[in-house]
Amino acid sequence: MARLNDDAQWIVLMGFMVSFSLIFLGIVINQSTVVGQTTAEGVLEFPKNDILNVRSAIFQSSTLQSSQITPLSLTDVHDDIISIAMSRKNAIVSYRVKCQELLDPNCVSKIIDIHYNNGVTAYNETANY
Amino acid sequence: MVNYDGQLYTIEGVAAGLIMLLTAFIVVGTTSVYTPGDTHITDMQLEQMGSDALHMMNTPNTSAASAESALQSMIKNNEKDRFGETFLSFCDTTAGGTTDTLQFSADIYYHKSNPMPEGSVYKVNFTESRHLTGGEHAVRVTEWVQVDNSVGGVLLPASPPLDTRVQAVLVEVLVWRD
Repeated sequence: MARLNDDAQWIVLMGFMVSFSLIFLGIVINQSTVVGQTTAEGVLEFPKNDILNVRSAIFQSSTLQSSQITPLSLTDVHDDIISIAMSRKNAIVSYRVKCQELLDPNCVSKIIDIHYNNGVTAYNETANY
Repeated sequence: MVNYDGQLYTIEGVAAGLIMLLTAFIVVGTTSVYTPGDTHITDMQLEQMGSDALHMMNTPNTSAASAESALQSMIKNNEKDRFGETFLSFCDTTAGGTTDTLQFSADIYYHKSNPMPEGSVYKVNFTESRHLTGGEHAVRVTEWVQVDNSVGGVLLPASPPLDTRVQAVLVEVLVWRD
């Protein structure tokens, strides 16, 4: 290296800078291709509509309970929701309806415990309805 | 003897080669069509739209406690045609005025409480715009509906028949683009 010519080092440096910035751009473009896919997969797999839907079905069925004496868990609708959710949605659904006040004879205001678990997403809620 | 004179030219040549390779990589990469991501995105849109349409149909027009939604009365009275018309009119409407070409096949899953084995879930085909052949790329949308079969109505032609009581059924619709 004794007689090495030091001229044009700028050109070499610029060459390396340009190559590395292009590599970086390549990585960015490569990542951008999977963004749409992972987002869509995330939305498809997350059971947002299932949970909202089973929640409204439970609220709707809770109006069938009109007194403290006959708990909803003994009714057929309760069994319907649990059985169909298990066989068609692969989800364990468990819920219980309590009357909010003991002195409320018609059970107008209720407390509803909802548990939902499909193995990936778990959802638990205590709602006043 | 090895001559050191051309070292800078060699380095520059290597750098230029890298630049050319990367340019080719980027040019080819940006113009390709990414099929897997694309199908997932349209699936997601179709699923969201179908489940929104079912949810609209299952919303009563008034807030009265006894108000029945359109979907509830369709299942209670076995109104197949009305279901198909309403569902497709919600799904096929586009902003441009032209109609989309979606097809659907709707099943209803119900649970019988009385006969053994208890806990069995049965299925009845409700209605379909076209028979599913198996080649379609369909998405599944569902809606829970509480149907009062205790008074009036027309029971679905199912075997075994639905219980005549208030019950929760699951409407499951396969939607695909023609």
